[in-house]
Amino acid sequence: MVVAVAAAFAFLANAMSPRGLNLARNYFPKAAPTAQATPKVSASAATQAPTPATPAVSSPTNAPAENSEIEETDQRIKDKGLQPVERAEMERIYNSPRYQQGYVIFIDARNPDFYADSHIPGAYPLDFYHPAKDLAEDLTPCQNAEQVIVYCTGGECEDAESTAIMLRDDAHIPTKKIFVYGGGFDDWSGHHLPLERGARNSGLPPEANK
Amino acid sequence: MNPRAGTITDYITVATRWLLGGVFVYMGLTKALEPASFLKLVRQYDLVHTPFLLNSIAASLPWFEVFCGLLLLAGIAVRGTSLALTAILIPFTAVVWHRALILQGAKGIPFCAVKFDCGCGAGEEFICHKLLANAGLIVVGTWLLAGRGRLLAIRYSLSSQGLPPKPAPAPAAATET
Repeated sequence: MVVAVAAAFAFLANAMSPRGLNLARNYFPKAAPTAQATPKVSASAATQAPTPATPAVSSPTNAPAENSEIEETDQRIKDKGLQPVERAEMERIYNSPRYQQGYVIFIDARNPDFYADSHIPGAYPLDFYHPAKDLAEDLTPCQNAEQVIVYCTGGECEDAESTAIMLRDDAHIPTKKIFVYGGGFDDWSGHHLPLERGARNSGLPPEANK
Repeated sequence: MNPRAGTITDYITVATRWLLGGVFVYMGLTKALEPASFLKLVRQYDLVHTPFLLNSIAASLPWFEVFCGLLLLAGIAVRGTSLALTAILIPFTAVVWHRALILQGAKGIPFCAVKFDCGCGAGEEFICHKLLANAGLIVVGTWLLAGRGRLLAIRYSLSSQGLPPKPAPAPAAATET
């Protein structure tokens, strides 16, 4: 009897919780590999972006272990039929006028707390586990952009890939426009690249102790 | 409340009941407030592959623990609750142990040096600490299962036997001698 009542309470609490899970949803979609999945696609080359000032290669300062981890992540991204992007190219895109003009957008697929704490300046929030509100706001920029680059924490985090698949399958964003930054936020912040805190385009610097 | 005064053993038993209840409320709430994180951790065990089943476990288990923890704190259906919690603790401990063995093999480190987030609610922990803690909780659960912890219990058992004893009727001529 205790088990039955506790189980009923548990499912009811989940249904009423704003952070509750949707029992019917597949949170770990496995995309079928597509034809363009195998080669590493340059995000800038894919849409005829202005010629970059530096070639799209991995940073030479990467330690071997770090490179190995990124390669592993990139391979996982390709296996899901998605296109990986490296940090060097992310930096170039970030500094290009195309990013400021919205031709390229970044999607932060981490949870709202992490986003509020710190994110790549100008990135749109999209909480993969509770996407309804964010997706309504992000859909138009995604449709208008030529490239949509999704990131999460990086490494073992698969939320960026899941979000990319959701954008493709549910929001009908063309696959060729969607890229995944495998290194993710940890790679970006670990190389002391620009960050902002709070809302999108707040311009606020991250807190010093974080 | 049971109005009877207890022995020192009774008070210790109540303290262990509160400890077990408190641990489950805390651990359960930690996971219930971040169900997405718990979902990913459950998935790492690679035991369930059906999305509905996986989601159901991740969505319900934390609240199940919170509910049972509250029952123990209040002293309601103590034996049944202890049985339920002990029954889930044993397989969980076995699963965590098994995963630790896999990680040990993959990393080539001593067993007790294996540290990971088992999804238990306390973040990353050394496996030997975790196994000892779980063993302690199982002992406490079994101790309560043996019929102890009645003191300060609102409703020790859901059956009529769990009600506080009715006061004996006043003897009409008890003082007659």
